[in-house]
Amino acid sequence: MQATSPLKVHKNWRERWFPNGEWVLLAALFAEVALFAAIGHNFFTTENFFEIIRLSVELGLLAVALTPIMITGGIDLSGGAMMGLAAVVFGAAWRDWHLPIPAAGGLAILLGCAGGGLNALLITRFRMPPLIVTLGSFSLFRGIAEGLTGGAENYSNFPPAFLYLGQGYLGGIIPVQLLLFVAVFAAYFLLLHRSVIGRALYAIGFTASGARYAGIAVTRRIGLVYFLSGLAAAVAAIVYVAHIGQAKSNAGTGYELAAITAVVLGGTSVFGGRGTLWGTLLGLFAISVLQNGLHLAALPSELTGVLTGLLLVATIGIDRMRRSGNASLQAQEEEASMKNWQVAVLCGTILVGAAIVAGTNYWLVRSLERTVRGGPAPAAPKGRRPVIAVMPKAKGDPYFVSCKAGAEEAALEANVELIWDGPAGLDPAKQNEVVEGWITRGVDAIAVSVENQAGISTVLRKARARGIRVLTWDADAEQDARDFFINQATPQGIGYTLVDEAARLLNGKGELAVITGALTAANQNQWIVYIKERIATKYPDLKLVTIRPSDDDRDKSFAETQTILRVYPNVRLILGISAPAVPGAAEAVRQAGRKDVKVIGLSVPSLCKRYVHDGVIQSVILWNTRDLGYLTVLTAARLVTGQIGSGITSLEAGRLGKVEVRGTEVILGQPFIFNKSNIDRFDF
Amino acid sequence: MQPTPLLRASGITKSFAGVHALKGVSFELRAGEVHALVGENGAGKSTLIRIITGALSADSGTLEVAGRAVHHNTPSLARTLGIAAIYQQPALFPELTVAENIALGLEGGGLWRRIDWKARREMAAELLQRAGSDLDPDRLAATLSMPEQQIVEIAKAIGARARILIMDEPTASLSEREVESLFRVISQLRSEGVGLIYISHRLEEISAIADRVTVLRDGNTIDTCSVRGLERADLIRMMVGREVSAVFPKRQVPIGEVVLELRDVSSRAAGIRNVSLQVRRGEILGLAGLVGAGRTQLAETIFGLTPADSGEILLQGRRVRVQTPADAIELGIGYVPEDRRQHGVALEMPIAANASLANLSRISRMGFLDTRLERDLAQYYVRQLGIKTASIYAEAGVLSGGNQQKVALARWLAIDPQVLILDEPTQGVDVGAKSEIHRLMCDLAERGLAIIMISSELPEVLGMSDRIAVMHAGTVKATFRREEADQQKIISLALGHAYSGSAGGLA
Amino acid sequence: MIEHYRREISVAAAILLVAAVLAVLAPQFFTLENQTDLLLNNMPVLIVALGMTLIILTGHIDISVGSQFAICGVAAGVISKAGLPSPAVCIAVCLLGAVLGGMNGSLVAYFRLPSIVVTLAAMVALRDALRWSTEGAWIQDLPPGFQWFGLSQTGSQLVTFAAAGILVICAHWSMRNLAAGRAVYATGSDPDAARLVGFDPRHIVFGVFTATGALTGFAAFLNAARFNQIPSNAGIGLELQVIAAVVVGGTAITGGRGTVPGTVLGVVLLGIIGPALTFLGVSAYWEKAIQGAIILAAVAIDSIRLRTGRNAGNIAAQSA
Repeated sequence: MQATSPLKVHKNWRERWFPNGEWVLLAALFAEVALFAAIGHNFFTTENFFEIIRLSVELGLLAVALTPIMITGGIDLSGGAMMGLAAVVFGAAWRDWHLPIPAAGGLAILLGCAGGGLNALLITRFRMPPLIVTLGSFSLFRGIAEGLTGGAENYSNFPPAFLYLGQGYLGGIIPVQLLLFVAVFAAYFLLLHRSVIGRALYAIGFTASGARYAGIAVTRRIGLVYFLSGLAAAVAAIVYVAHIGQAKSNAGTGYELAAITAVVLGGTSVFGGRGTLWGTLLGLFAISVLQNGLHLAALPSELTGVLTGLLLVATIGIDRMRRSGNASLQAQEEEASMKNWQVAVLCGTILVGAAIVAGTNYWLVRSLERTVRGGPAPAAPKGRRPVIAVMPKAKGDPYFVSCKAGAEEAALEANVELIWDGPAGLDPAKQNEVVEGWITRGVDAIAVSVENQAGISTVLRKARARGIRVLTWDADAEQDARDFFINQATPQGIGYTLVDEAARLLNGKGELAVITGALTAANQNQWIVYIKERIATKYPDLKLVTIRPSDDDRDKSFAETQTILRVYPNVRLILGISAPAVPGAAEAVRQAGRKDVKVIGLSVPSLCKRYVHDGVIQSVILWNTRDLGYLTVLTAARLVTGQIGSGITSLEAGRLGKVEVRGTEVILGQPFIFNKSNIDRFDF
Repeated sequence: MQPTPLLRASGITKSFAGVHALKGVSFELRAGEVHALVGENGAGKSTLIRIITGALSADSGTLEVAGRAVHHNTPSLARTLGIAAIYQQPALFPELTVAENIALGLEGGGLWRRIDWKARREMAAELLQRAGSDLDPDRLAATLSMPEQQIVEIAKAIGARARILIMDEPTASLSEREVESLFRVISQLRSEGVGLIYISHRLEEISAIADRVTVLRDGNTIDTCSVRGLERADLIRMMVGREVSAVFPKRQVPIGEVVLELRDVSSRAAGIRNVSLQVRRGEILGLAGLVGAGRTQLAETIFGLTPADSGEILLQGRRVRVQTPADAIELGIGYVPEDRRQHGVALEMPIAANASLANLSRISRMGFLDTRLERDLAQYYVRQLGIKTASIYAEAGVLSGGNQQKVALARWLAIDPQVLILDEPTQGVDVGAKSEIHRLMCDLAERGLAIIMISSELPEVLGMSDRIAVMHAGTVKATFRREEADQQKIISLALGHAYSGSAGGLA
Repeated sequence: MIEHYRREISVAAAILLVAAVLAVLAPQFFTLENQTDLLLNNMPVLIVALGMTLIILTGHIDISVGSQFAICGVAAGVISKAGLPSPAVCIAVCLLGAVLGGMNGSLVAYFRLPSIVVTLAAMVALRDALRWSTEGAWIQDLPPGFQWFGLSQTGSQLVTFAAAGILVICAHWSMRNLAAGRAVYATGSDPDAARLVGFDPRHIVFGVFTATGALTGFAAFLNAARFNQIPSNAGIGLELQVIAAVVVGGTAITGGRGTVPGTVLGVVLLGIIGPALTFLGVSAYWEKAIQGAIILAAVAIDSIRLRTGRNAGNIAAQSA
């Protein structure tokens, strides 16, 4: 019975380190590093290395906790939502219930355990599919967080000792939260790869019924990983709060999908059984390095999604091909009904078709924009020009899109290089991340439209310490965190102007309703405070009946307005305070034929022009956004070239002429009311 | 003058992952005959059937239907050629109704044709009636019991108006009344000129219904002959190839004290009632019975998968509670399950991890695995059991069936059991590995283990056991010593008859 | 037959319960105008959910429909501005959707990649590609014939209702009465057995992904035509809304079980919860939590029913 060749009892290096073909990913990671080292500024430095790790800690915690879940063949979509819930409970416990930080942290962690336990209970006791359970709890956790805080509550001003956990560096270089991540990673590593329980999890993933036959307590083990996932989400929430300095119900939005991407990219099979924590770590870094590298190379951050998608399909596809090469039996059964070449041709056709469609779509949109903007941009002059990085709150928001045109105009005029990048939606953590990237890259000036004051100020101070000129625009950071603030209007000014205009149209009397952006949007919530204040103090006969969210979605604003018109038939005015909300509300009013209802709001004139002419929208309140972008970049350029310094009282601003400066605030002018008589004069 | 046979297969070979399942099988079916296909488990019957129905393609050999060669056989081609099959495991769509399950297999045509529900229901009702059942065509297949599913399969086959109809153990879970009506259907079909291939382990059925019989053994055709005048002993000899006693390496070892005792054990969930049994040190207790008699369920009750709700389980005279498999393992009860690929081993897991899975505490300290201990354990059993592999980290799925079974065995030997339950230990295992496993069983008995062996192969039960317990309808009907037992006794008890003592030939 | 539609009946009961509460506390909910608006607003979810039902029936999932929806909406605008009439725009957009869906479908069906991974990749890649190419700009200055297909408001509403109604009826009818529909059930129920009865599961899977893409395109077109400008960030979160509606409507995530009427009821239930809460004066902040609780409750009840409703030792137990 003795085999002729000696029995192999040691794993070779490939079996040990890359059991699931992780080398494909490792190669991709090396390729990324090599590419960005070549085209990015200051990419290949120790400092940047730690920075990448620091920014991936929260996501990493979720991904690490998700790995054993996916190894058992399950999934958890509720991690990000649990972060939001744990964050607000942590904030409330500390601020409102006056618990000390450790107790608040403990409470948040208990809550995470309870949430994870709920998932575990439903999955193991009720035998519900994990996808559905966690889809439900995804809604439930986030919903409770929003319900508890009314969406608006933003806990900040945490003690510095706590913020050190998310913002401090040990020995000036090693981020504090890295230690926490290493500890959690090590614990999970021991659990999954070294412990009896981990072995059981793999067995469950390969065959749950078979594991039962081997005496493994299947339901208890599965319950454990969901429970731990809730716990890890709570820990991630605490790190997140310390990192950006605020606790809000929108913490961790979208993290669940990012975590799944990292885990799957790392070679973990969605069918269970296969996968390692090393792989997850590689997957995580493949994404983080990509994001960071794109910032440092000043490439648009939208490429992240496109490239991540391609990487995902490529690594999984290569893995699949490798595996099916081994499984000769399966291949044989498949051969039966369709020839491989037919499949290849079919797929090839589809992919080519898709490429053509994508290409033409891109080209059409581009050509359209060109006709709108009037001709291609002139060729850039040569030579080292100052680099000015400008960040909107949300890149796709029409309001900020219209600011961008002015920014580009100023960049051309002042002969500076403009980087325009930021989060796709409102996301304070992402803002920090982009600024960190710019600091590492070494830009000359940074201008930020601030989503979260407390969180970003730390990072901006760091930028100033490196000699980078820092401006804020649209919304301010803490005063000492920036050189100048380009002030277009204060929240108070905006709120008051909106109410005054409403009162004028309603003759100071009647019901009105507000359509806001996301319930958690910081700016809008500030404006709402002043709107309420103005109504209470000056217009006792005005009545604000309801505030409804639109999530910056035109269609949702449309639907909400329809409902408002029915539920509150006496509403005579809709006040939209997010750019897509106003045209959405206007269309609803128009289609309802309610000529007695007026629509006003804060939006971009070009989106509202038609409705203003039709008499549906009475007035749009805004400043000249184009001028705002223009002034921001121009001021930054003047600062960088040393043409202005602190203590100035006015500033020569190109086509805007002389602009007033009060202290460190550059004043653009008062909010402007666009109406039928003047709206055609503006083209943004 | 011999007419062209309906089906002729010659020189068919097929191997899976290096194991030769068919080594050159020839087979012929005439119109209007019932042709029995017999052979032990693993002889290649199922593989041959799957090749005829197009579910698998042969490595070499030719297949002719009504004189015309079939080159690339597929399920749909086989269907248009008039081939239909009823498998051992009914392959119904659980979420669809009975009527639709019957109809899907019968309706030809494209994806865009319209479905006539009324006609479907009527057809289903009629076919079910012909199959001797009054099942409601609107019931969901998921709500059917195993025999009811089998009936649906039979109705499907009748409806297929097949020229060639294959039945793979169709009576395995049928009651007697249902078997009778099935035989009526078969006779009817035969008189209509259909050729039937009938696979069964129940030799008396073959004498009742078949015209000719072909014997397969180890992937070869041994002989084809007429059933008339065929002695059962001859048939068994052809199937087994050797005298029964010569095949099994049974050694007498001293039998010790009682290790495991069941007293009136019942489990409603498992369908087990009032089972009393004893197994002693060094003893191999054979558990015989038909499929569905409750043998596997009894094993699962002892092992804690479906805990007993009444009665007592005693281990070395001490009353024990077995509520979960973990309890059983703790007490030193091991169970090598019937379904090796689903339950016995995790196919995608390395051999070492498979071997240690039931006994992780032994290769760990304070809950953490010690890879060195695991390596030693795996190495020991790979050598000990002669598992043919290049590395202890190879996935169990790449091994042949026999070696997989040895890995499953290793998992349970590693817990150092007092009692080992082996459920169909040699099913789907080639002959060489089979006798190795038998030898191993003897070694284990010699070392003082108490072994319960469940087997559907009577020769194996007779050849390996010290005592034989026969089960029927969830309970133990009788227990014999090895010397007292013979096939007739066991079969008639397993069929639920009281043993009459009259020996019957095949014809 | 009532047995087969138990889940649909329980969802219908939940809807009736909500309706009864509204009838007492907020009868103005039932005005014709409000019902019309509700229907129109939920039309995209409904149409996409029809396709998603097919995909989930085959045991797969598509989480990229939200991104597809956004791309198709923008494409409708761009094509319309290029001067094509509405019917041509509609066809073009459906084709575009079919190509996007077919891309997912071919990777899932023929390359055997897990659908959740493929569509996750498609979701992020398509969304970011759209952001990249539009840079957030809306499609404006659409030709006058674009909104309402150039008809009157009521006319276009009738057309939309008719289109959606025909789609639902066609989908229901073909899932019941066409071999192709039954093939979808068979594939989801047991792909190997489906192959044995002569369906090729790969073609079926490819087909349902493609069909869902086309339906998503159609939904995007109908939705875009209700307005006179098209935002480029539409459909964020649509996939979760749609999947939740399909699952609440009784379609099993493991495939093989579910119906079109069930999905319609699921869309209705989740679609009326939000407005109903507004009518009842509940704050918007608790809406999401209540929706999550409803999803969990619906599935939990279903799983309890499944465990008690089927006899032991049957196929379900074997396939579990």
